[in-house]
Amino acid sequence: MAAKILRTLLRTKPTNLMMKRFESTEKRVVTFDPFGNKPQKNKKSYLEVIKMFEGRDIRRRGHVEFIYAALSKMREFGVQKDLEVYKALIDVLPKGKFIPTNIFQAEFMHYPKQQQCAVDLLEQMEDNGVIPDSEVEQMLLNIFGRRGIPLRKFWRMLYWMPKFKNLSPWYLPSELPNDTLELAKLAIQRITSVDPGTAVDVWQTEEIEASLDKTWIVSAQSEIQKVLLEEQPPEEPLVIKGPFDVYLRDQVVTYFTLLGKTRQEVEDDKDPDDVSNIEKPPGIPGYLGSTKLPSVKCTVHEQDDGTIVAVCATGTSSRDSLLSWIRLLEKNGNQVLSKIPVIFTLTAPPSDIATQETQIATDEKSSVNQ
Amino acid sequence: MLQMTSSINIGVLKCLTKYRHFSTLCKNVNKCEGFPAVQNVTKRWLFWEPDRKGGYDTAHKVPFTEHLKNGFKEIKNEFRLLSQEMKDLIETDPLLVARPGETDLVWCFNDQSVLDKFVTTCDSDHNEGYSTCKLEMSEAGRARFHGVLDTRVPKDGRIKKAGYCAMRSHRVRKSFKREATYNWNLYNTLVLKVRGDGRSYLLNISCEGYYDITWNDIYHYVLYTRGGPYWQIAKIPFSKFVFGSKGRLQDKQNRMRLDRITHFGITCGDKIPGRFNLEIEYVGLEFDPTHDEEFAYEMYKTDKYIVAV
Repeated sequence: MAAKILRTLLRTKPTNLMMKRFESTEKRVVTFDPFGNKPQKNKKSYLEVIKMFEGRDIRRRGHVEFIYAALSKMREFGVQKDLEVYKALIDVLPKGKFIPTNIFQAEFMHYPKQQQCAVDLLEQMEDNGVIPDSEVEQMLLNIFGRRGIPLRKFWRMLYWMPKFKNLSPWYLPSELPNDTLELAKLAIQRITSVDPGTAVDVWQTEEIEASLDKTWIVSAQSEIQKVLLEEQPPEEPLVIKGPFDVYLRDQVVTYFTLLGKTRQEVEDDKDPDDVSNIEKPPGIPGYLGSTKLPSVKCTVHEQDDGTIVAVCATGTSSRDSLLSWIRLLEKNGNQVLSKIPVIFTLTAPPSDIATQETQIATDEKSSVNQ
Repeated sequence: MLQMTSSINIGVLKCLTKYRHFSTLCKNVNKCEGFPAVQNVTKRWLFWEPDRKGGYDTAHKVPFTEHLKNGFKEIKNEFRLLSQEMKDLIETDPLLVARPGETDLVWCFNDQSVLDKFVTTCDSDHNEGYSTCKLEMSEAGRARFHGVLDTRVPKDGRIKKAGYCAMRSHRVRKSFKREATYNWNLYNTLVLKVRGDGRSYLLNISCEGYYDITWNDIYHYVLYTRGGPYWQIAKIPFSKFVFGSKGRLQDKQNRMRLDRITHFGITCGDKIPGRFNLEIEYVGLEFDPTHDEEFAYEMYKTDKYIVAV
């Protein structure tokens, strides 16, 4: 035992000893964390803590430290996107005390800690995409005066943030749905917005008797894609690729694509200036005239790595649900799929939950076989 | 820039290291590594910049003899470049008019040699985070900028925010490694053909100047990606790019000097942890005669001593 103690003593560096000393002092000091002992972590209890702090001491000692502590706890309470909470925090600062009364005070950052604290608070608002309103401006004016640095930060925020707020060309609701099915619908709609003729269907795998995973499938296919699928050579297999990620703000949806072969480029040696024999123009595939597609790659679905025939997202992202998807596609107007073989290439392993699902599914399959 | 300017809320890389403002009495304690910062106060940066990299040492340490050898190997190539430059000068046949509606490609990512003109950086390179990224050829034969964005902050008490991955082109150079700039004066639109994952990326066009105050001047704009298997073509007018320094938007905005462009880059730093994947086919330029906007943001005069101080 003594040898062990001696060894550890010899091994420790002086800096480590300093750290040890620091650690021990921290253990002896009882830290008071008003946020830590709240049983329910929500907006109501968060505002309660702020109220409690305001009522505890008329001078509100340590309000800067309190605001920093409160800012770091915001995510824990799930209030980081709530303007009302930020207003309550700004309200902790005393009104009128920090307003500079002469030019020297105004120039040399009157009450620097408090101003920096307010700037950090505003920055946290900005990082969470919360746009302040004129009430925040009034509060800050009452606290720091119009020469205050938090006011400058506020005005910059109010100038820039609305400019970038609605810049994205793909509209998303301000509050994303919690339901995965609704999210998947939004994601698939966004992916397939290249072709306005795309129909997004929600199918249940229960419709297929042989299916093992009972889940939903969000499938998207346009009329043009149906024609493209029909024109696929029957001996060439189709490929299911995925899972790929698509982000809707901070939510991730995995999707799969059904890929076919790209059509051969037809060599055209005809002289385009020769007008002696003009052909009748071909129809629009799927809508007008003949359903045969023009020989040039003209549809958006013909990408350079293959023809995208359909896109889907399933509830479990499992192999079995994808199999059900193919069966459902066959049922819903793609009879060709009964003839063409389909290869599953799942490039990366799907998320943990999905792999578990597939394992269960294979077990069930084996038991069924027995 | 002695300013505390506002920044774009979407994905501007803000990994400014912030120090605790200790009193002189605490100096010795401050030296102790791992001392937890209780309260973070921004260090006031001065005008003077010691180096272009902002203190990050990214140079390859090569012995002198090795350096000499490498230099000799370069000579042949540099003379070839010089003769090409002389030829161009004598021919005096520059492009004077850009064809409207036609895209001139600056980088077409169909070969590894084009990818080698870019360099990737992420916060884990400097032990300031855990993000990783790579720029590789994709299966379809295009550039694929992918990796994992991680917003976890290393607990060293210095760093407040983490999570960025960036790719940036090398500095354009004339023969004998003389620094040059791109001249994109003929065009007014940036064109990118990309296939993303629904995230928003940040396009950065650096306009480094001679003086240290301009070393960190970058013009930013957001590249929204649709996500999915379809390629998309994004056309962004240069007039929409906002001016920032060290990732902070500046109060006095101005249009970029298109003949002084030094770098082009794409950043992923949208504060959403997870994988990211951006395929790029080309980066091109276009002249759009219908776009006659000089600059998209207000340039009016504001009150004294409130803005840009």
